[in-house]
Amino acid sequence: MLALNRIHATRIVATPSALDSAQWPDDRLVFRIAADEALITPPMANAVVSDPYAIVVADSGFAGAWLPMEEALPLLEHACEWELPRERPAFAQGSVAGIPAKLWIEKDRVLLIVPAPFVADFEERMA
Amino acid sequence: MSLQISCPHCGPRPVEEFLYGEIPVVPDSITDADARDLDRAFMRNNPEGPQTERWFHLFGCRRWLTLRRDTRTDEVMEAG
Amino acid sequence: MNEFQEKKIKFAWPEPKRSYDVVIVGGGGHGLATAYYLAARHGITNVAVLERKYIGAGNSGRNTTIIRANYGIPEAVRFYQRSLELYKHLEAETDRWIMHKQKGLLNVAHTESALRTERARAEVNTAFGAKTEFVAPKEIKEICPQIDLTGGNVWPVLGGSYHPEAATARHDRAVWAFAEGAMKRGVHVHQRIEVRGLTMSGGRVTGVETSAGPIAAKAVVGAVGGHVTTLASMAGVRLPIRTHPLQAYVTNHYDLQFDVIASSPGLLFYMSQTARGEMLVGAEIDRQPSYSYGSTYHFLQHCSHRAITLFPFMRSLRILRQWTGVCDMSPDYSPIMGKTGVDGFLVTTGWGTWGFKAIPAGGEQMAQLIASGETPELIAPFGLDRFASDRMMADRGSAGTH
Ligand SMILES: Cc1cc2nc3c(=O)[nH]c(=O)nc-3n(C[C@H](O)[C@H](O)[C@H](O)COP(=O)(O)OP(=O)(O)OC[C@H]3O[C@@H](n4cnc5c(N)ncnc54)[C@H](O)[C@@H]3O)c2cc1C
Ligand SMILES: [Zn+2]
Repeated sequence: MLALNRIHATRIVATPSALDSAQWPDDRLVFRIAADEALITPPMANAVVSDPYAIVVADSGFAGAWLPMEEALPLLEHACEWELPRERPAFAQGSVAGIPAKLWIEKDRVLLIVPAPFVADFEERMA
Repeated sequence: MSLQISCPHCGPRPVEEFLYGEIPVVPDSITDADARDLDRAFMRNNPEGPQTERWFHLFGCRRWLTLRRDTRTDEVMEAG
Repeated sequence: MNEFQEKKIKFAWPEPKRSYDVVIVGGGGHGLATAYYLAARHGITNVAVLERKYIGAGNSGRNTTIIRANYGIPEAVRFYQRSLELYKHLEAETDRWIMHKQKGLLNVAHTESALRTERARAEVNTAFGAKTEFVAPKEIKEICPQIDLTGGNVWPVLGGSYHPEAATARHDRAVWAFAEGAMKRGVHVHQRIEVRGLTMSGGRVTGVETSAGPIAAKAVVGAVGGHVTTLASMAGVRLPIRTHPLQAYVTNHYDLQFDVIASSPGLLFYMSQTARGEMLVGAEIDRQPSYSYGSTYHFLQHCSHRAITLFPFMRSLRILRQWTGVCDMSPDYSPIMGKTGVDGFLVTTGWGTWGFKAIPAGGEQMAQLIASGETPELIAPFGLDRFASDRMMADRGSAGTH
């Protein structure tokens, strides 16, 4: 049974070029959720990008769970109507079991992320 | 086949991930200011053929995109 | 009446004349009923109905045939109740069996606010001439034993409203009954003639350009369903219509009887049993405006999910057929009937996903308008002029899906 935990992160809204050229520490996961928006976890309150108007805020609106690849793949094959990226690691987002989800796909494990209000629904649908 | 929309950030996705947004185009032949407001608020071009339209990727990047679609066939002709 | 006593329909298909008093564009239910009532009630028979495919090819031959009057606003309740009553007597009037069957309709509510809506519906209906009562879960179970009142523990049924006079009828039979009744009285129905333009003179519409040449008319009526924007634009008329696909499906035969029409306005889902025992299921429109008749797997999936959750027996049935129509959706979910601001050009549209039930009253009232030149009181609230004067007939919660 899938159990999702709250993800603590930092959300950065900035120009696409500023996000493209930013350097991130190796101990962080950085999800590019839109051309002008990135989510960094664990949080990085002091993140700096080359955009004077960048917005940097704490974000705990998502929850997620790691699954080993052999468990994640069959689940996603069933619950995704779209094609998963092939490269590793890869970030992807879209409808998973009818819920807006984000995926961080590594070589042998996948992080499933959904907005916190959908956690109960998502756990039930993926059960 | 379900309509597929290509999000420039997230890739091709089923239409159900998006919200539809229309671009109101008031015909130039309507010149009176009140009449233009009325047209913009209520009237629809509703073309049988290609139209330029906006879609919001609710399930992904949460950004608007623009595309051209033929309403007779649902064929997406160009993304913008 | 039943099918064994039926007479074969004998039709004459005359050549089109160069001119008529009234030309009706579109051989769907609304166009044909308008022609029928013009001939039957007003003796106006120099009338042509021009249909580019075959009659009933549009939504009138694709709908889920629900007839009801349990709308949410007084103007709509009065209008649809009139139509419901005309349908009741249509078999006697036309001498044709349209398989009209009174079944009753159950609207179920899953939330407190939906419950209040159904209570208000019952009050408004009762006040304006339709029969609707507020019902508790226990009564719902009696009316519809197959329902799971827990709604799969997701959408509990807290109560609802029951509308005993709701009915269904065979859609293409209704269309043909009106066609035959009109033709018997001298109306010309022309299939495979497409209207491609409107002829105008001195700011008024004086006829139509068709695939079979020009035809003059004192009045032209647009009754073309989802294609109304294109037709109206030929007269320079702007409409608040957006055309959206609407899908439906039927299952294989369900062995038991399912007497009632069951509907959840909250889930935008409804279901009834056909005369063959199939379960007929419908839901909301597709989100993209479109003229495409494409059907989707997504619709089947979502609609079946709701069906199974409220009616667990649906799990064991199989989907046989799925189809689509393209609907003329109005912004307030109410019809748009009557004058357009351009002399000689009338429309009957905004029938969206809910216009089958309205065919008799829509036709009757449009005919009266054409015969008298005056907009009848029953449909005056539904004029195109309501948008400019900010008198929207907002009734989404009633018209939503069927
Ligand atoms: C799946 C589905 C389920 C529905 N369920 C219900 C229900 O349960 N209850 C209910 O009340 N309503 C329901 N409806 C709505 C109902 O079917 C329609 O509102 C109604 O049939 C509209 O009738 P009409 O005559 O206006 O249009 P249509 O029946 O669509 O007729 C228009 C005709 O015009 C013709 N035409 C178009 N352009 C031209 C042209 N240029 N020249 C000549 N001919 C032209 C078309 O070929 C067509 O035959 C449903 C609709 C659908 C699609
Ligand atoms: Zn996107």
